[in-house]
Amino acid sequence: MTQQYLVGELSLILGELQAAAMSAAAVRDVARLRHEAETTPPAALGPVVGRAVELGDRVCRDALTQGESAAFIRDTAIYAELCEFGVCAGLLEEGQTSSDLGPAKKLKA
Amino acid sequence: MAAEQETEVSEAQIAVHWREEGYYQPPATFIAQANAADPALFERFSEPHFPECFKEYADLLAWDAYWHTTLDTSNPPFWKWFVGGRLNASYNCVDRHLATSPNKAALIWVPEPEDEDSNAITYQELYRRVNEFAALMRDFAGVKTGDRVTFHLPMVPELPVSMLACARLGVVHSEVFGGFSGTACGERIADSGSHILVTMDGYYRNGELIDHKAKADEAVAKARALGLEVAKVLVWRRHRGQYASKSPMVPGRDFFVDEVLADYRGRVVEPVSMPAEAPLFLMYTSGTTARPKGCQHSTGGYLAYVAGTSKYYQDIHPEDTYWCFADIGWITGHSYIVYGPLSLGTTSVMYEGVPTYPDPGRPWRIAERLGVTIFHTAPTTIRMLRKLGPDEPKKYNYRFKHMTTVGEPIEPDVWRWYHAVVGKGNAVIVDTWWQTENGGFLGSTLPALQPMKPGSCGPGVLGIYPVIYDEKGNVVEAGSGRAGNICIRNPWPGIFQTVWGQPERFVQIYYAKYCRDKNSKDWRDWPYFAGDGAVQAADGYFRILGRVDDVINVAGHRLGTKELESASITVEEIAEAAAVPVMDELRGRAVEMYVSVKPGVVSSPHIEQKVAKAIETAIGKIARPKNVWIVPDMPKTRSGKIMRRVIAGISNFSDVGDTTTLANPEVVEVIRRQVQAQKVARGELPRQLSPQELEEIKAFGRAE
Repeated sequence: MTQQYLVGELSLILGELQAAAMSAAAVRDVARLRHEAETTPPAALGPVVGRAVELGDRVCRDALTQGESAAFIRDTAIYAELCEFGVCAGLLEEGQTSSDLGPAKKLKA
Repeated sequence: MAAEQETEVSEAQIAVHWREEGYYQPPATFIAQANAADPALFERFSEPHFPECFKEYADLLAWDAYWHTTLDTSNPPFWKWFVGGRLNASYNCVDRHLATSPNKAALIWVPEPEDEDSNAITYQELYRRVNEFAALMRDFAGVKTGDRVTFHLPMVPELPVSMLACARLGVVHSEVFGGFSGTACGERIADSGSHILVTMDGYYRNGELIDHKAKADEAVAKARALGLEVAKVLVWRRHRGQYASKSPMVPGRDFFVDEVLADYRGRVVEPVSMPAEAPLFLMYTSGTTARPKGCQHSTGGYLAYVAGTSKYYQDIHPEDTYWCFADIGWITGHSYIVYGPLSLGTTSVMYEGVPTYPDPGRPWRIAERLGVTIFHTAPTTIRMLRKLGPDEPKKYNYRFKHMTTVGEPIEPDVWRWYHAVVGKGNAVIVDTWWQTENGGFLGSTLPALQPMKPGSCGPGVLGIYPVIYDEKGNVVEAGSGRAGNICIRNPWPGIFQTVWGQPERFVQIYYAKYCRDKNSKDWRDWPYFAGDGAVQAADGYFRILGRVDDVINVAGHRLGTKELESASITVEEIAEAAAVPVMDELRGRAVEMYVSVKPGVVSSPHIEQKVAKAIETAIGKIARPKNVWIVPDMPKTRSGKIMRRVIAGISNFSDVGDTTTLANPEVVEVIRRQVQAQKVARGELPRQLSPQELEEIKAFGRAE
């Protein structure tokens, strides 16, 4: 199947997230995940999207913690786009959010 | 009784949960105007007429010299089509339409900002722009016939202009999807040996002007790290005279195209007459941390194939306004935005931005305003448009005669919305199956002659003879309800020629599996292995089930790991799941599930039973796992990928392989002790695996 575009779309959204991230650590983590997305077969993108949602959540929370309301609004838009993409591409379950991805939280620890 | 019930579940049902659907007939108004309405086409493209049948496609093009050999099989599987023929792709897509339709729009570009005017580029204007940029490429950038040039361009008209300029010179272009990182672009630059990068300062996405040039700097640095020096970076500007990037231009390396082009105004470059088998472009596929895989597509065979399938399957007429809502950064865009439609002299629409910006009515406003007659997009986009604006199409007065879906299987429910709401019940739908490697469609319905069936792409297209093989190379018969590996028995003009610089990889991945005789020069001995699982109904229609890497074969039933894992995580206590195969004396392979529970949840046999039950309910009894193991954590790479190969090794008492790349190598020993001790206690004793079985376990999860 010509599914390569799913890889590209995810990379694109992660690029936006990378540009939006406020801490150096988050930028680095998103960049790493983006590289992983770009080197993952389309059929195996599901877990990558799951971790992207986790990271998106973290980027939003960083903005909120720092009181950056404009950044928070922008970040949540990217987060929403990521979730919509994941669901519509069949890579995330409808309604699945970062709070459903418990093990990914363990990864960060 | 239970066993009988099990066998009633076909692989198709297991793999996609879709039942066979009824047919939809094309409307008479469509049939009356269709390019392909004569049933004699099937006879003309039948196997006794292969390969000469493809002359019908090649005759759609203008040739400088006709070929003497339609298909040269002397060096299989490196097929050569239309050998001896010479042509130029740019001439075919631009120049030859000037005599009849110089003022017709070749491209209509729709910017994302809705207050910015669309830009209609006539064939005359396209001719001028392609020639001027070709002159710049040749005389300023110094590229010669056979050189490679990398583009990292978004959806702007400068992309097809750049492609056609390279094609005019016989230069091999390699477009990297504009959304990819600079690093990914740099890897492709290095692999292709491009010394010129063509990029853009910025583009619009979701209402923002994105800094794109910054990625060029990353790309050049990455290519340099890989041993390739980029000599020039040519930067188109999104707004003439303004620079949208914060990345400084590097003197002597970076040049604004609009400034340099001033020296090439009005220049005309004679199209280079290229051998039919000369490479036209590279299209890289992703999905590997190894060397990128550049699919090399030919000039004559590729162009003939996309022209032919555009005419017969897309039903493109010169007077149509055709909109393929994809990105030119992918093969779909190359074949069915640029080369196919333009070779037929139609009007091809390009859109810069996000489908739902500023709202989900945007695509339908564009369709209404431009009078789009043929619409072409991917299931993910269709699902998104349905989700965000299910009633939006009804608000707009457009009329599609034809719609295409491409990319992955489309669920019947989504198909029906596409047909009833987007197509307003009047448009035919062409559901296509093919791959980057294939150049054009492989499986689909001929829209006026074959009825549509939701969920199935249809039979093989004209001149394509698909077959489904099982793992041993036996044919899986149509209507048997069994699935297998879909292969194409014959070469076709659009097939890629090789993996750029890696011919052995080309043979290994696509031909070695089912080759009957490595010394044979008969194409019949070299079936093409597509890598997708499929099932064929009695009517000859194929249903594509996904990549074969992700399947566990239980008693002949192909179970998708994704589906098994999805079913597992419907259990509310489960946080994460991984499915692996285990050798089973009775069924050949059985499924074992590894799951981890959410924080605060205590493991229990009850949860194991819930997981098994969830799988059984969602997929069928055949999929019931032999064991469900609740483990404290999964072995993962540093980036968080579950290493299924490692847990498959544990389940089969075999070597778990290299664990040095794991983020949590200590968990491997914890899981091994837990699982293997319980297996022994249950009487599941280790046995010696055959070399083939060991190889299978080691290779499991390679998709990850």
